[in-house]
Amino acid sequence: MSTPVSDIDTHSARSVLGAHASRVQRAGSTLPFGDQRHLEAHQWLVDEAYLLDAQGYEAWLESLTDDIHYLMPVRVTTALGSGFDTSPGMAHFDEDKYSLSRRVARFLTEHAWTEDPPSRLRHHLSNVRTFATPDENHLIVESATLLFRNRGDVRESSFISAGREDLLRRSPSGSGWQLARRTIMVDESVMRMQNLAIFL
Amino acid sequence: MTDQSTVLADVRRGMIPAHIYNDQEIFALEKERIFGRAWVFVAHESEIARAGDYVVRRVLEDSFIVTRDESGEIRAHFNMCLHRGMQVCRAEMGNASHFRCPYHGWSYRNDGRIVGLPFHQDAYGGEAGFKRKGQRLLPAPSLDSHNGMIFISLDPDAPPLREYLGDFAFYLDYYTKQSPSGIELRGPQRWRVKANWKIGAENFAGDMYHTPQTHTSVVEIGLFREPKAEKRKDGATYWAGNGGGTTYKLPEGDLDERLRYVGYPQEMIERMKTSWSAEQRKVVGEDGFMISAASVFPNLSFVHNWPRVAESDDVLPFISVRQWQPISENETEVLSWFAVDAEAPEEFKALSYKAYLMCFGSTGMFEQDDVENWVSLTNTAAGSMARRLRLNSRMGILADDTEVAPALTGEQFAGPGSARVGYSEYNQRALLARWADHLERPITAAVARDIGGQDEVVPALEHLPSEDTAEVTGA
Repeated sequence: MSTPVSDIDTHSARSVLGAHASRVQRAGSTLPFGDQRHLEAHQWLVDEAYLLDAQGYEAWLESLTDDIHYLMPVRVTTALGSGFDTSPGMAHFDEDKYSLSRRVARFLTEHAWTEDPPSRLRHHLSNVRTFATPDENHLIVESATLLFRNRGDVRESSFISAGREDLLRRSPSGSGWQLARRTIMVDESVMRMQNLAIFL
Repeated sequence: MTDQSTVLADVRRGMIPAHIYNDQEIFALEKERIFGRAWVFVAHESEIARAGDYVVRRVLEDSFIVTRDESGEIRAHFNMCLHRGMQVCRAEMGNASHFRCPYHGWSYRNDGRIVGLPFHQDAYGGEAGFKRKGQRLLPAPSLDSHNGMIFISLDPDAPPLREYLGDFAFYLDYYTKQSPSGIELRGPQRWRVKANWKIGAENFAGDMYHTPQTHTSVVEIGLFREPKAEKRKDGATYWAGNGGGTTYKLPEGDLDERLRYVGYPQEMIERMKTSWSAEQRKVVGEDGFMISAASVFPNLSFVHNWPRVAESDDVLPFISVRQWQPISENETEVLSWFAVDAEAPEEFKALSYKAYLMCFGSTGMFEQDDVENWVSLTNTAAGSMARRLRLNSRMGILADDTEVAPALTGEQFAGPGSARVGYSEYNQRALLARWADHLERPITAAVARDIGGQDEVVPALEHLPSEDTAEVTGA
């Protein structure tokens, strides 16, 4: 189910701008669904989904660590056995706290036209499973997300389906968790959404 | 088909029938008379750097395998098996010496030559039934490149690419020849928008007027220091050959100072100085104009900007190459690449990429607001009311066609073509005038050929390689 992996084995480590990202990896099998750590991780993701639906981006930014690496590779169709399925050296998001903070700041201006009127968003969350790490202050959580986005009254809605691997780190206060690393593996090579003025 | 001569005449006088941005008949004509003839960008040589590297790209519905064969030659094969018409390559990119069709197993070397035809003797009676010798995947009718940018034309009699680009080649160097090694291209990000393909091409060609309004938010958050209204109108637009673009006016300084102002490190500046002509250096160094967005007819655009990428006053320049690939009259696939000088320091490449992601592409903060506008425009152009409206695209000229502002002299602007300071729609008109010229001119019907027939004349090839299935991709 899971094997020890070298620290280069994170998408962040292989990305162009992920050198600063934490290299903490999972250890062992999926935690039982009754495990307190899984319950906390799952709840964290559910709370985050509601926050993103409501475009509560300032609060969302606070739930990220200062060394966050937020990565969404560009998927490409390649022959079986070619050994890669993401576009080398290219991503949709390859973000640190600064670039995410600019994106959030832009939405808070009165002139981010693409979200005025705002989209109706629903982040559907499923398939959540949690892994311990060698360090009790970190958890790895995997999940599936399906974002439904609708703009205006009669425009066709759009979807993004993606799998995510998150690294959660215990908050400095000791209560609760923060997101330290996220990889979003989108399931389309050609996105069917007019822009990614959203977060996954 | 409806007579479009009135539409073309209206477009030529700068009164744009709004329905051309969402009209099925117009689109059918564009497919035939623009994309059946014009040079269309497909890839950059750096995307297929090694022998066997390939990318699969389209010219509208036609899929081409753009590959570097074993001898290093760049080729574009129509991605259709000669037997039953399957796509022989269903991946987007990779490396392969051969392509094998998954249907009946015909296989082709990456130079296009057929190499495997199962049961050739038993099923066809050998060469007497199906002439295998000299058969190859159908090549793109015309293939040419400039500064490593590979283009295809579906017209076998297309003029040489350099001639097609004309004087725009002067400006293309700013984006694609900052050193003798040229650019490396990464990506593309691809996504589909419910917008007509012409809108993006027009916008990038010359729309400085939208910047202060559409992109207000990126100035407010400190991402970009330039596009305040009073700054943007000091820039010049130029049209030269088959393309045109916009510039920013830079603060006083010499060439080095001005290139440093937009964030280039000195070692890159030194290479630019040796790669660019005296006139190319003068446009930036003495005239003080720095290239920004541009379009080449029909659907290739560029952008060069210099945002802040960290909590500091420093800016970092980036280049993006993008294509507005038409899907239908109301849908466009955007292909957006990040480009960077191949000789740039690695740290510069990384930060320039960061600048690109923050500004343009699928997540770019400039681009997000552009697309919202273009989708909305396309949507509104579909109905019958749009047929009662001719949009005024005459900015920069009075009712009697006299100019609001004169063209810059050679002293003021050293680049070729015609350049003007301030807001205008000269470039959008120039782009749509080419559009009208293409739509007006009927296309010569393409010649079809039999495959494997006996009376077919095929050029003799030196030798026919034996069947070889190593490194075959059936993807």
